[in-house]
Amino acid sequence: MSSMRAAIGWVQGLKLIKRGAESEIRLGPFMGIPAVYKLRVPKPYMHPKLASILVAQRTRKEAKVIAHALKHGVPAPSLLAVLPSVGLIVMEYVEGVTLRDYTFKDPEGAVGYSRLAGVILGRLHLAGVAHGDPTTSNYIVTPGGGLKLIDYGLSEFTEDVEDRAVDLHLYRRAVESTHASIAARMYEAFLEGYKEVMGEEALKVAGRAEEIRLRGRYVEERRRSVWGALG
Amino acid sequence: MGIESTAHTFGVSIVSDKPPYILSDARRVYSPREGGILPREVAAFFSRVAGEVVREALDTAGVRIGDVDAIAVALGPGMGPQLRIGATVARALSSYYSKPLVPVNHAVAHVEIARFLTGLRDPIVLYVAGGNTAVVAYSEGRYRVFGETLDMPLGNLLDTFAREVGIAPPYVVGGMHAVDRCAEGGDFIEGLPYTVKGQDSSFSGLLTAALKLVKSGARLADVCYTLREIAYSSVVEVLERGLAHTGKREVLLTGGVAASRVLNEKIEAMARLHGATFKPIPARYAGDNGVMIAITGLAAYKWGYTIEVSKAFIRQRWRIDQVDVPWYYEFP
Repeated sequence: MSSMRAAIGWVQGLKLIKRGAESEIRLGPFMGIPAVYKLRVPKPYMHPKLASILVAQRTRKEAKVIAHALKHGVPAPSLLAVLPSVGLIVMEYVEGVTLRDYTFKDPEGAVGYSRLAGVILGRLHLAGVAHGDPTTSNYIVTPGGGLKLIDYGLSEFTEDVEDRAVDLHLYRRAVESTHASIAARMYEAFLEGYKEVMGEEALKVAGRAEEIRLRGRYVEERRRSVWGALG
Repeated sequence: MGIESTAHTFGVSIVSDKPPYILSDARRVYSPREGGILPREVAAFFSRVAGEVVREALDTAGVRIGDVDAIAVALGPGMGPQLRIGATVARALSSYYSKPLVPVNHAVAHVEIARFLTGLRDPIVLYVAGGNTAVVAYSEGRYRVFGETLDMPLGNLLDTFAREVGIAPPYVVGGMHAVDRCAEGGDFIEGLPYTVKGQDSSFSGLLTAALKLVKSGARLADVCYTLREIAYSSVVEVLERGLAHTGKREVLLTGGVAASRVLNEKIEAMARLHGATFKPIPARYAGDNGVMIAITGLAAYKWGYTIEVSKAFIRQRWRIDQVDVPWYYEFP
């Protein structure tokens, strides 16, 4: 256990590039190649036992989702190491710029990438996974001209129309909030790519995404009544 | 004047737009001898006490009904039989004394009273009560629901568990819920499910598993402790995600369960982690009361929101995101 603690200490010494609500992301070498170290931190407001159970569960699940996605042809980062007990996933560092930043530089090219982003999300959905946060900040345009989808921290194994529609909605909201002038074209291209993979089902999901947008929120009212079991 | 009657409390309050703002806060709370809340029994109780509560609110405030500018009433969301009592009283006062009638959404009012009491003006809000569990934040004219419970509300989870294992009613004694009392001396045990999906939490699986654990002979204090720990942690986590997502800098907790010390401590710790400001509200205003309806009604009335008596129907499932809040940035 002490060597594990030493390893985590070493990870915590790496360069921090992002601190999210869920985890800390650091950059460092892994067997000679640049890698991303994603460390889930126990929540300080939870009982330590509960916090560590969740860290382990979620780490295991995220790794499972990534492996599953890769198997189904989704360009996700390769897994290098997974240590659920300490909440660590080491994965391939995806070189490139986010689709978000790329769009500012090359709006026309971004429309093409947006179509590809739709293809990728379609593949993930077909594989039975909803991403949970597919914004343009989580698509990386690689130097070779490819596109990868990263961050599966909020992903779920689900084939529910609503969960899939939330993904579409989140993408649309991301392009609308940051790239208003070409948002419509980007989302249109995105849907085109998504339909290519999902076929007929895509229309249903896109329709539901439209409903979510009109509701002004992200999750459907699934309860029968506000009073739950009392009603 | 504000009238509240959505669940177990019949409350009437008089407020003014100048300090000290709250002039009176009269209320009667229905407490069942056994079992849960039976809407018809509560409604019968409300209709017995309504007259004296209105009278008390006026007398304490030292005003006569003629001095009142408008009658605000919670038309929903809530339980039908109880809502009808409050609505009937409000419609009668409004038409008999020719006072404008102001419709108020009970959920909006819970948020507004918290903003009013803490002075936090643009928060993300955890609203937890017997009938509601949601994380809301203002955006573009309305309170938007960021996340909520997919099945039962948090307060309902605690009440149902307490009733099933025989430690309630009474559900709340001295401001402390039966589950909180039972959790003292308990420790965390493994085996209960924790469910947060994206922006929502779910409690029905937790309830079933907890009851099963008790039946199989687990220490009741441990089950109470763990149930509470998981339930509170999951709503605070949804709140945390909402805070990160919306970029708000302030955090509020409101609704009946907001009286819980443990829940307040967890939110405090979460807010500190993200450098956000959290201010608890006095327990007296956590649960349902007439003041929150009056305060919200006052703001709405100033913005010209009134409703004709003949159209003032109750709305049992009136969602918080169906209500325009144009006074948001100019709240007292």
